[in-house]
Parts: sequence; structure tokens; C-alpha cells
Amino acid sequence: MLEALGNFSIVWLDPWLLFLTAAGTLAGIYIGAIPGLSVTMATSILISFTFKWQVNEALALIAGVFMGGVYGGSRTAILLNIPGAPSAIATALEGYPLAKRGEAGEAIGLTTVMSVLGGFVGILALALFAPVISEFALLFNSRDYLLLGLIGILLVGTLSGESFAKGAFAGALGVLIGMVGLDPMTAEGRFTFGTITLMGGIPYVAAMIGFFGVAEALVQLHTLDLAAVKQRIDRIVPRLSDIKRYFGLAMRASGIGTIIGALPGTGGDIAALLAYDHAKRSTKNPERPFGEGCKEGLVAPEAANNAAVGGAFIPMLTLGIPGDAVTAVIIGALFIHGLKPGPLLLTETPHLFWFTVGSLTLANICLLIFGLTGIKVFTRIVECPKAILIPLIIVLSAVGTYAIQNNPVDIYWMLLFGVVGYFMKTYGFQVGPVILGVILGPMMDANYRRAMIGARGDIGTFLWDFVSHPISLILTIGFLTMLLSQTPIWSFTRARLRKQDA
Amino acid sequence: MSSKPARRPGELVFALLVLIFGLAAFWQAYEISGFSGLTTPGIFPMLAAGMMVIASLFILADTAQRNAPDVSRGSVPASFLREIMPLRHAIVIGLILLYLIALPLLGFVVSSGLFLLAAFQYLWRKNPLVTAVLAAGSLGAIYLVFRVVFQVVLPRGTWLGGLI
Repeated sequence: MLEALGNFSIVWLDPWLLFLTAAGTLAGIYIGAIPGLSVTMATSILISFTFKWQVNEALALIAGVFMGGVYGGSRTAILLNIPGAPSAIATALEGYPLAKRGEAGEAIGLTTVMSVLGGFVGILALALFAPVISEFALLFNSRDYLLLGLIGILLVGTLSGESFAKGAFAGALGVLIGMVGLDPMTAEGRFTFGTITLMGGIPYVAAMIGFFGVAEALVQLHTLDLAAVKQRIDRIVPRLSDIKRYFGLAMRASGIGTIIGALPGTGGDIAALLAYDHAKRSTKNPERPFGEGCKEGLVAPEAANNAAVGGAFIPMLTLGIPGDAVTAVIIGALFIHGLKPGPLLLTETPHLFWFTVGSLTLANICLLIFGLTGIKVFTRIVECPKAILIPLIIVLSAVGTYAIQNNPVDIYWMLLFGVVGYFMKTYGFQVGPVILGVILGPMMDANYRRAMIGARGDIGTFLWDFVSHPISLILTIGFLTMLLSQTPIWSFTRARLRKQDA
Repeated sequence: MSSKPARRPGELVFALLVLIFGLAAFWQAYEISGFSGLTTPGIFPMLAAGMMVIASLFILADTAQRNAPDVSRGSVPASFLREIMPLRHAIVIGLILLYLIALPLLGFVVSSGLFLLAAFQYLWRKNPLVTAVLAAGSLGAIYLVFRVVFQVVLPRGTWLGGLI
């Protein structure tokens, strides 16, 4: 316990780490707020810069950026009706009407306080449940990890994008990209076409920066001429009565956020929408109707999306399965630093866990401070034209990719992924599953083969193992349900059941 | 299916390319170790590529079912060039390509400076002097933050004797 407290406070006592977390949070708020710059993009670029640092420094900075970025999206949602991040879509529905009434400052203040509250709930859940889950995860077999990986990719593939087939394709493409290079088990080349350049594999940071950075920048080129709207800001610190009034709702929304965040593949965006829906259902007599500046509808999604941050760390640190795209990128960072996220992370490097909890807590407090200050400067920066932003993103992407291995080949990969990613996005494919596939692919491959070797190469035994062990059975049922829910059989059965009810 | 939105220009071609890519990937995955066993290095790539082929068949079928793109404003290739790959995108991608080629030759500072100058000028269309000041300013800020504060090794150009 004392040791945990010691590791928890490392980030608080070291001035440099303190500075990094604070700077990360501040940067995150702006990155999250500027439409076109996403937290995922920022973390993937940042990771290439931080991989030569100490793990602690990198983690402190990333924790700050993550926390700040998820919150930052709400500011542009309120002020400009443009969600700076997908997790702020629901915020825009209520926040912008408030801004139109000249209550933008108050709305920002209220969102800040509620985001911080939500953040704390998520962190608390992380601190309490992660140790329990990771102990439980030690019982997991290799086939269970295979299933978890499949479920993770499937969830991201189904919840976003136009169709399940597109999500599945994107996930499989990612797995394929992750397979390139020498097979870690037999050292046979896979998809190397006999060249040495491909033997080391395709660096996933190049894929991440390409798909999230350059591709997004190219998409943004379409809306280059969208003019920014000016806004006035007056009152910022929210009324105590308001906080008291919405406290219960914020707590419920945070609960939703934490759970959604903890589910592999779902992050702040879905958490926010579900919490918004919950607020809509549970609020009987709102002061103003929903959609016209209802504060309940502002509080719930904002508390939920920040709670999802702590939640997303739970599966990542305990199972090595990212909770959302940002944690997928952070897993990449941990791998670069020679750490293996998974059930053994807590036993092998317990300091890392408590350090993460500590820096998230610190980032959350920084959020409160920065969230209530500097809004005037903020509006100026957000109005930065995209014509300036896009070239800057590209320069940062190029340097970020180059910095990983000082290898110019990587930047060509990055550009290729960027252009492919642009076309995928344009035609309704999501790029999130690709990155998840790249990161989870090799893990799934290794676990599949381990499970198959465990079954002595007999396909019957292999399949029987999936249903004869309790944990595997539960995961298999979950996987199959998710798969079936995407097929026409599901809607057909549901329609029939409904008919019977009526 | 009239309820679904019409195809975007070029979407059918893209769906076909996706299928061809999936098939090629499957063929390459098969080349790794064939069907010789269930624990070979090639089996998982084959599963992934197989998934891609199946998914792309569904995507192709779905895309083919939807209404053809609106051609009232020109033929499909023309609307592809207008909506999906306008001149602006082509030029920016071309600029990025030039930038990436120049990066190892001219080094980070010179090539990024030139790229920023060209891209700002093309996209922002302000006075060249303003653009130059902005490019220099942002380049200076990036250099300061990444080279000086974070100590990141930035690419140096081979043509300039590795000076900058």
C-alpha cells in the first residue's frame, strides 16, 4: 500500500514530470479543441517523439494529452458547434444553443467541472478494479486472448463506420499489415517479397500517423474554406447550486462512461452518446427542452467521456487489449519502451500502474485549472485557419515518422497509408480497426498458434476447447452474439419476436 | 435499394480494387506455407486475407446494389475528380511527395521550410511576405520544441554535407 502510494506520488513530486503532465494537459485541451486535430493523431505523433525518453516522462505527457484532449473537444462544440473530437458530438447538441444565448462561458465552466468529476470516477475505478481484473486475467488461456483480440476488433468495426463488412475488412487489413516481416516463432519471412527492407515489418507508428494524421489532414482539405465564428465569453466559474443539482446525474453518467470505456473497442464517443441518451430518459422536467441548451444534456456526455479515459486504461493495463483508439496507440508506446501490457504488467512492473494512476489524477486536476482559465486566448487559437493547420500536421507527421528509426523508407509508408486512409475514409471505411488490427494482429497470431499447438494441431480439440472452459465459453458466446447481431438473421428473429409480443 | 444513399463517384472501382487486393493478399499468404499444417506461419495471414476477401465480396455486392452516382453534373470520372480527388488534393499530395523526397536530401530545416512556404502559399493565398514570416515562425517553433527541448534527432540532408 505504502509502495503504491509512493509510486502514485512520483509524478507529483518530480518538478519535470509535473511540468510534462501539466503541459500535456494544456496541449491536449487545444489539440482536442481544434477541429481536425484529434487526440489519437496527437498521441500517435507524440509517441514517436517520446520513445527515446524515460517511460515515466512519456506516460506523464500522454496521460495529460489524453485527459485534456477528451475534454477539449467540448469547447469547440460549445463555441462553434463543431465537435473538436467525436466524443463531443452530444455536447454540441446542447452546448451550442447555450452559446447562442450568450451563456458559452457558463457552459464551459459547467462542462469543465463535470468533466473533472467524471475523470475522477474513471480513475478511481481504474485504481480499484484493475488489480482485481489482472489477477483474474492470469486465468486466461491463449485462446481467450485470441477471442479478446477478435472481440476488440469486431467492436470497433461494428460500432463505427457504415457497414460491418467495411469494419471487418479494415480490421483484417490491419492484421495483415501487422503480419509483414519475420515470423516471431519460426523466423520465416511473411509478405517480405524477398526484400530486406520488409523483414523488420512495417512500423506501426508509421501506420498510425499515416491513417490518423495525413489521412485526416487530406479529409480536412475539403472543408478548408469553412469560416470560423466569433463568440463572446463572460461568466466562467459555474454556480455551486448548479454543480450540486447535476451531481447525481454526473455520477451516473460517469458510471456509464467508465464501463463503456473499459469495454474493448469502445471509447469516449460512444460513452458520451449513451450518457446523453440516459440523461434524456431520466430527466423528467428539464429547465429547457433537450436540443435547446439543456444543461442535463451537457453534463452527462461530458462527465461520461472523461470517465471513459480511466475506464479505457483498465483493459489496456490488465489484458493488453486497448479500450479505444488512443489506448491502442498508448499500447504501441509501451511496447516501444519494452513493456508488455497484460496481466503480468501489474506484477512485474507495479510502479508503472500506480504511476499511471498518479499522472491521470494530476492531469485531471490540471484540467480543472486550465479548463477555467485562458478561454479568451483559446478562442483566438481555435480560429486558426485550416490552411495553416494542415501543412503543419503534415510536417509533424513526417518528422514524427522519421524519428522512430531515422529511416526514410518509413515516411513513404506513412504517406502511402495516408493516401489509402483518405480513400478508405471517403468511401465509408473506418481506420480505427486497421490500427487495432496492426497492434493486436501479432498477439492474436501467436495466441492462435499456441492454442492450436496446445490442442496438438487437432481442429476438433481446438474448437472443443473454446466451449469446454468457462472463461472461453463466455467469451465465445460474446463473440458469436456480436457476430450474429450483424447478420440479417438477427433482425429477422427480432422482428419475429416483436410480432409475437404484439 | 433506393433507401440507401447513392454510390460516391469511384466507389465501385474502389470496392473492386479492395477485392483484388484481398485476393492478392490471400495468394501471397498462401505462398508462405500453403495448406501444410494448422500451426504454420502462413495460417493466420491466410485467415486474415480470407476475411478480407469475404468482407470485400459483401462490400462489392452492397456497393453494386446502390444507385449509380448522380451524373447530372458531369460523368463519373469528372465527378470523381471534383468530389474525391480535386486538384487541391492532388497538388497537396504532390507537395507532400516532393517534401518526403527532399527530406533525406536537403535535411529537415530546408525541406520543411520550403514545404511550409509552398503549402501555406497555395492553401492560404496571402501576401508571400506574410507566408514567409509564418513559415519561418512555425518552423522555428517546431525546431525549438522538438530539437532543443525534446532532443529529437531531425533528418539532416546529405546534399548539404549534414550541416543542417
